[in-house]
Amino acid sequence: MDQNELFDHLKKAMVDLEPEVLVSETAKSLEAGIAPLEIIEKGLLPGLNTIGELFENEEIFLPELMKSAQIFQGAMELLQPKIQEQGVTAGKKGTVVIGTVKGDLHYIGKNIVKLLMETSGFDVHDLGVDVDPFAFIVKADEVKADVIALSALLTTTLMGQRDVIEALEGQGKRDKFKVIVGGGAVTKSWADEIGADGYAENGYGAVGLVKSFVG
Amino acid sequence: MLDLIDVFERADTGLLISDIDYYMNRFVPKLSEIVDRYQIKWDRQTIVNSDDDLADRVFQAAVDLIVEAGAYCPDTNRVMEFSREEVLRAAEQSPKAVRFGEGREAKTMYGRGVDEDSVPWIHVGGGIYTTEEQIYLDTVEGLASIGIVDSLSVPSILHLRGKDARVRSPQELLAAIKTVILAREGIRRSGRTGLPIINGISAASNSVSMIAAASPQFGLRPSDGFLIDFLSEMMVNYEALQKVAYFNSISANIGSTSTPMFGGYAGGAEGVAILATSYLIMGSLIYRGNYHYNAPLHQNLRISSTKPLLWAIGMSNQANARHMKRPVVNLPYLAGGAGTKMYHYEMAAYMLSVVPAGGNIFSGHPAKSVEPDSLLPKDHQFHAELGLATVRYSRKDADPLARKFFAKYENSIKTPTKGFRYDQVYDLKTKKIINDDYLKIQDEVRAEYQEMGLEVLPS
Repeated sequence: MDQNELFDHLKKAMVDLEPEVLVSETAKSLEAGIAPLEIIEKGLLPGLNTIGELFENEEIFLPELMKSAQIFQGAMELLQPKIQEQGVTAGKKGTVVIGTVKGDLHYIGKNIVKLLMETSGFDVHDLGVDVDPFAFIVKADEVKADVIALSALLTTTLMGQRDVIEALEGQGKRDKFKVIVGGGAVTKSWADEIGADGYAENGYGAVGLVKSFVG
Repeated sequence: MLDLIDVFERADTGLLISDIDYYMNRFVPKLSEIVDRYQIKWDRQTIVNSDDDLADRVFQAAVDLIVEAGAYCPDTNRVMEFSREEVLRAAEQSPKAVRFGEGREAKTMYGRGVDEDSVPWIHVGGGIYTTEEQIYLDTVEGLASIGIVDSLSVPSILHLRGKDARVRSPQELLAAIKTVILAREGIRRSGRTGLPIINGISAASNSVSMIAAASPQFGLRPSDGFLIDFLSEMMVNYEALQKVAYFNSISANIGSTSTPMFGGYAGGAEGVAILATSYLIMGSLIYRGNYHYNAPLHQNLRISSTKPLLWAIGMSNQANARHMKRPVVNLPYLAGGAGTKMYHYEMAAYMLSVVPAGGNIFSGHPAKSVEPDSLLPKDHQFHAELGLATVRYSRKDADPLARKFFAKYENSIKTPTKGFRYDQVYDLKTKKIINDDYLKIQDEVRAEYQEMGLEVLPS
């Protein structure tokens, strides 16, 4: 079997959401001598891209997206030791710290954005909901994040987004991270008012923003 | 039916698991299995279902989902589990009618049947943000002045001394009180003091603010209606249960509220139809709601007027109408801005999907409910009239017409038409409509409705 066929099999297993098949195809690809990073770039990520397109077209939904992230992780468990053995980096596209701001307990929207970012190849650190503004900064420093992504659903919790930007300014770190905002109550004019670097109406917009910052 | 303390104890004694575990290993796989088990399938074309067997299977599936997945309490990280018998008893014993309002305005909202030609309950308004107190008062007065209206959802006003209140702050509590006082005053000015407000309390995001603002000295009464929502899919937090404890203790009307997300954990149309129906049962079982706000929503677009959602919303109404007859109002979150043709087309498709399905009338929330000052009383009067016109349709006859209206806005869903704001339509001194363009659009749409066979009579 040539390499292109193996990549096609990897992509198909990803799109069909077949965890056992994906692990077995990943093992076969390694046995065939394909570099782990190439397996990711030419097999797994194209599969994830197709899943992203299916999600955008409403042909699959959040449960399938969650499963795709899980099975991708299963394949990565096989690849990660090889990557470390070879002393190369996994080539993540960028690092994002994401969470729903303090006072807001909603998380479906934030979880969708997180999954779309993960399946687009970003390293995503999810702080959950009702997150203290300073916790975003501590985590962003710790993981050397490129982007902080802030979700807020309610009009009364929007101010939590401004707090994070103000806290970054207060610590002299505003230029260190790009800050993007989104969520039910967020509008472009609000994002402009608080000095966010970007606003997205949906998960795809958020992924596009992050790509534009770290691409 | 289980007593309330028993219900609360389920949040303390159920299976201890993380929220991600609950969704990934319980809710999502169970729902997927149940969709297959009952062969629930949307054909991607129908807007108004007329297959009774399918509606019955959606109801059975909804029961199974509660029994097999349970609800989840994030405060205790426990699954609230219920037996099939408990779930079925709650469905069977759920209230079929609810009495709202005071004095001359007192009236009973009933759960309706499918293809029933009874006059539905007419509810108008919305919790949309309002920028100025004057606009707030005028909007509420205008809505309450619509003669055929039975109840109101009043808008929100969240600022104090020019600043927006922050969630859980003392200012938010005061803003919630202010909202109630202004709302009652607006209604009083209409001359219909006893008219019920059934979205208590739009400006209160937490239980403390809500309970504080519900104090009768600010103008709300147990005969109004108080909304208690599900935080996320099947999620029942302590804040909600605190409200349940309080509003049951004062014997107030409780509106259980649910917003199942299309594209979220429930997946597509089939999952949303089942989940929305589960919420109708859980609203009675867990919240003791005697009415329900049914508000399925598209996760990305933040509207309820897409084709699969119209089908799912109607389906949940049909499942309810055939098995429980809980009084239900359905919240239309629409893409088109206030006063636009798109907004009125969306509303027509929405009314045709819910009224013949056994739902009651609720006017449209324009511009995804995020454009401030976009509640225009004349729009809501028009939508109330439109809702009454759809009573004449059976589900079977409603479907082709709903599809025609859907076709009129389908291509604009992602780029909706911007609408009017209150001060662009009404004179703030005389409260008269001064915008001829606005009126012309409404007249043109009324004529279009007529051409399409939907005669909407002015009230």
